[in-house]
Formats: sequence, C-alpha cells, structure tokens
Amino acid sequence: MVAKGFEKIQDKWGWIFISFATIFLALFIFYPLVYSLYLSTFSTKGIIKNFVGLGNYKRLLQDNYFILSIKNIFVILVIQVPIMLFLALIFAFLLNDPKLKLKGVYRTALFLPAVTSLVAYSVVFKMMFSTEGLVNNILINLHIIKEPIRWLLDPFWSKVTLIIAMTWRWTGYNMMLYLAGLQNISQEVYEAAEIDGAGKTAQFFRITIPLLRPIILFTTILSTIGTLQLFDEPMMLAAGVTTGSSVGPGNSLLTPSVYIYNVSFKYVPNFGYASAISYMIVIIAVILSIIQFRVAGEER
Amino acid sequence: MKKIFVILMLSVLLLGLVGVASAAELSGKITIWCWDPNFNVAIMEEAATRYNKINPNAEIEIVSMAKADVEQKLNTILASGVKKDLPEIVLIEDYNAKKYLESYPGAFADLTDHFNYSEFASYKLDFMTVNDRVYGVPFDSGVAGWFYRRDYFEEAGIDVSELGNITMDEYIELGKVFKEKTGKYMQAGDPYDGGLMRTLLQSAGTWYFDEKGEPNIVNNPALKEAVRIYKEINDSGISKETSGWNEWVAAFNGGEVASVITGVWIIGSIKAEESQSGKWGVLPIPRPDVPGSVNASNLGGSSWYVLENSENKDLAIDFLNQIYAKDVDFYQKILIDRGAVGTWLPAQKGEAYSAGDPFFGNQKIYVDFAKWIEMIPPVDYGLYTYEADAAIMGVMPDVYSGKISIEEALKQAEDQLRNVIGG
Repeated sequence: MVAKGFEKIQDKWGWIFISFATIFLALFIFYPLVYSLYLSTFSTKGIIKNFVGLGNYKRLLQDNYFILSIKNIFVILVIQVPIMLFLALIFAFLLNDPKLKLKGVYRTALFLPAVTSLVAYSVVFKMMFSTEGLVNNILINLHIIKEPIRWLLDPFWSKVTLIIAMTWRWTGYNMMLYLAGLQNISQEVYEAAEIDGAGKTAQFFRITIPLLRPIILFTTILSTIGTLQLFDEPMMLAAGVTTGSSVGPGNSLLTPSVYIYNVSFKYVPNFGYASAISYMIVIIAVILSIIQFRVAGEER
Repeated sequence: MKKIFVILMLSVLLLGLVGVASAAELSGKITIWCWDPNFNVAIMEEAATRYNKINPNAEIEIVSMAKADVEQKLNTILASGVKKDLPEIVLIEDYNAKKYLESYPGAFADLTDHFNYSEFASYKLDFMTVNDRVYGVPFDSGVAGWFYRRDYFEEAGIDVSELGNITMDEYIELGKVFKEKTGKYMQAGDPYDGGLMRTLLQSAGTWYFDEKGEPNIVNNPALKEAVRIYKEINDSGISKETSGWNEWVAAFNGGEVASVITGVWIIGSIKAEESQSGKWGVLPIPRPDVPGSVNASNLGGSSWYVLENSENKDLAIDFLNQIYAKDVDFYQKILIDRGAVGTWLPAQKGEAYSAGDPFFGNQKIYVDFAKWIEMIPPVDYGLYTYEADAAIMGVMPDVYSGKISIEEALKQAEDQLRNVIGG
C-alpha cells in the first residue's frame, strides 16, 4: 500500500515535471506546425482569407521565383556543401595529430568564424567583395587578375561570393563535429596503419573517412537543411541602394527563405502562400535526408 | 483694490481650471513607430516637443526601429488581429501605403474629415485614398533632383543654363562627353536597383499598373523607354557600379562622380561631406523621351498613419493636426535641421524655403524643389510596386548582356508579375 502511494506521488511529480516542456512544445512547435499547414490552404491578403485548398501548392510549381530559388540553393548544395565538408575533414584530421603543436591556437582560429554573428560577417564580406574592395585590390596587386571582378554585380560571381562566405563561416563548425568524432577512433588504429606502411593520405581515406561515416552523414544532413533554410547571408549580401529590388543580380541570391520573407513582409502579405512554401521546403528536406540515409547510411 | 485683486485671483484660478478641463479631454500616451534616427525619429521628437507646449497632458513615446522591422511588426500585429498595445501612429513608405490599407481594412483611422487635404501636395494623396476616404497625413517629399558638382561641370565646360529640360538621352550623351574630358563618372548606382526606374515612370505620369490596378508592362511606352535607358546607361560606361547604400553614398562623398539623380532626402548624405560645401548645385531631372513626361518626379517619401484601434486615437489625430497641418515654423525647423521637405504646402511660403543654401553655392534650392513638387504627376502606386520592381530587375541581367530583347524582357517580367500577384 505504502509503496503504491509513493509510486503514485512519484508518478504525479513526473507528469508535472514533463508537463512544462510538453506544454511549451505543444504551444510553440506543434501548434504553429499544424496551424501553418491549415494556413497553407488559404490565399491571404493581410486579414482577407480565401480558401484555395491545394491551390497554393499548384501555384508553387509554376512560380518562377520559387523554382529559381530552389535552383539557386541546389547550386550551393552541390558545390558549397561538399567543399566545406571536405575542408572540415582535412582540418579535423590534421588537428587530430597528437604530435601537432599549438593545437589550441589552430582550433580557435578555425572555429572563430562559427561564433561571429551572421549579419556582421555578411556585412564584412559585402565590403570586402565590393568591386573596389579588399579582395579585388589584393588580386590586382598580385597580378592574378587585370580587371576587377564584379563580385556582387554579376549573377555568377555573386554566387561564388556567397559560397566563399558560407565556407568561411561554417567550415570550423563542421570541423569541431569531426574532431569530436575522431576522439572515438583509437590512435592505435593509426599506429597500426603506420607500421603497415600506410602514408597520411592512405590513412585519411582508408581509416578516417570510413570510421567517421555516421558523423559525415550527420553533418551532410545538417548542412543540407541549413542550406535549404539559408536566409541571413543572401539577405545581407543582396541589400541594395534604396530598396534592393531583386535579391542579388537577376535574383541570383534568392533562396526559398528569402522568398518566404518577401511574400510575407515585403510584398502584399500572403501568409498562406508563405506557409505553403515552407511546407514545400520541409518536403524537400525530408526527401533529401532519406536519399542521404540510403546512400551513406549503415546497411542493416 | 483688494476686491479687484480677489476677482483677478479668482478669474485666474477659474481660467486655469477651464484650461485643465479642456486639456483633460485629450490626454494619454501616444506611441509612434518609425525608422531613421537622424530623420523621421528626430523630426518626430521635434514635433512632440512642440505639441507638449500646446498640450502638456500628452505623453509621446517615439520608438525607433529599422524600416524592415516596422513593416514586419505592423504586418504581424495587424494580421494577428490583436487590439492591445497597438501604436497610435506609424510611418509607412508611400509605395507601401495602399498595400497596408487594402490588406488590413479597418485597421487605419479614416482621417478625411480631420484634415484639409487641399493644403497638401496633390501627388501625395492618391496612394493613401481608398474608396474616396483618405487615411494618412502626408509627410516628407521624395521630390527628385539632379544634384551635380558645379566644379566638375565647370571643368568640363558644361553650360548648366542649357540643362533645364533635357531628356535622358541627352543626359547620357553629356555623361560620355564628361567622362572623355575628365575621366570621371557622371553618376553611380546599382544596375539592379529600381529607384531610377520608378523616378522615370512617375515623371512620365505612369506606373507599373494601370488605373484598374492591372499590370501595365508590355504595352507601357514609358517603361520600355526606362528599360532602354537602364541598358544605355549600363553600356555607355557613365555610371560607376556600386552595390548597396554605403558604396553609393561613398561614390559621391568621395568625389568620384559628378552627379546623382535621386530624391531630395539625399541632401543630408551629400552635406555629410563638409569639404564639398559650395561645390554642389541642383538641376531639374532629365526626363524620359515619351509624350507627356515632365522634368520633375518623386522617389520614395513616407507618411503618417493612425491606427483605428489604438488606445488614444483622437489624441494622436490632434497631435498630427496641430503640428503637421498647422505649424509653419515646425516645417522651417526640420528643413534647416534635417533637410526634410514637407508636403504641407503653406509651409513652403516660410522663410527657410526661400533662403539660399551655401552648401549649394547659395542656390535657393528649396524654391526649386517647391516648384518641382507641384509639377510631379500624381500616380497611384497600387498594391504591388515591389513585386513589379523585382520582376523587372530580375530580367535586367539578360537585357544587359543582350541575351533577350527589351520586348522579350518586358514580356517575361509581366508574366512573372502576374504569377506573383495571381492566386
């Protein structure tokens, strides 16, 4: 009897403790999730709502801006994410060498970009990559280029700038995840490989990469989702003279998130359509994650 | 003697009581949302100080935010339907006004009967009028001017007296000659910014939309001309390419360019470079070569709006009325201190408007601007100015590279615009 009563009390406290988290979760995560799904079946103009069913999704498939924004992030996804992850792997591998001195300094230097504010670094990059900015001046003085590159004024180069900026910002972050992963790989494995005559390159490709596979998969998915939600960098890099009429030259920096923002706040506010776009991004993220799991995941 | 004194005392007391009573009818707190601490916020602070002298019972709080934040907050608060904690007054950019008025019917106070709108510049009224009701208090003007460097023009032997009513083509030619002689650029700008496009459209009395609000792009001669001018400017090499506000301002502050065509609000930024005092002048803007265009236009500008469901709506209306529609002296002060050109016309008879400005070589620039303000063709910006802007600027890279013709570009832009608006 006594035990039962105690269990009951314990039970009650348990419920009370998790209730806070559950209520907040429901209020701030589940409710918006469900409500935005409901909202995505309306076309809205401020407070004027029209039920359109799946109309928003149909409209999305024909919306050139949306298609363009998806194309833009796929270019970044295909080029920037592999470069960044590979760089991060190499840095992590080099830093993991027990004989390396001044490890802390390198680690800090590489990780520092990841703690800078997104807006601050985007603004600095915008200055550095202006036509008469630091980067062009250096390249010209080194005689690498003759004419200044129109970094932010050309649809092609603006994407290059974005890719460079993002790689600078996020490589250190991924490197830290890899470094953590590398702690689980025993140094003995490397020592054994060295005795067997494997060079650094062979060690990297034959030991580090295969053993880090779960972490690589994890960072790939994180980066993919991060890219799908890309907002701050293109928004800042594309800020124009008086109003910034297109998002980068020829909308070359338009991402779905920036488009959602424009549809909600810059254009006539259509929160219904904006919700539909966000659901579309969720669907794309899920599909890409499934593919990545299939390709890189452990087979069972 | 004593009696008279008592009577006097009593009457003073009574008068005081009456005074208190009438002011007590209108008391409370006015919250104002606006952007730009050096312009709108500072001007509102000046207005608040003046109103507090008339009505000490009003507490005025001015909340300074970024423009995008004002728009975001306004959108979310109005869309949510919350009636608590609404600001009394918000600043809305003129291009955006109709969007808010039509998207949130009933959210803004109808001011038609509170103000004498014939005293305001007529071009400021179209976009704040819905079904013949007026919802805003016109504030600053974006009347456009062609700001130029007197010393550079002199050096190149350009006679300013002949530039009073030229076309954009003549302007571009002038720019080429100028560049040949001095090696400097005529202007600076982002090739993908729609500012000049809007300036040119309004000077021709048209917009991206027709009277019914339908997209008017493919068959709009002024727009076609404006796109051609953009390409021409880009090809001619008279424009120093910049990206973003800071680079643009740096181009003329640094003396790299000879002129800038934009709204009057740029004066603050031009004057920031004190070493160039006396070297600047203002001309009427060049016009696009289409029938009916004038050498005057507008770029930007904003107005004040009162929220219908805010707590102290009547007090806020009284505040705007007392200062923005009655106080001539206030408008002189903000013109001198901030370079703000108001659109309440009686203010332009004031002293500050007729004074010469030493920074502009003692040119009476505000006499000119006041003249141009009255010439600006009224245009209804409609709901979708930014959508249209983005659609046009989105095709500009292909126009610049010659990949598509201007006709084709306009067709693509119109399709895209209809796509965004539709649904």
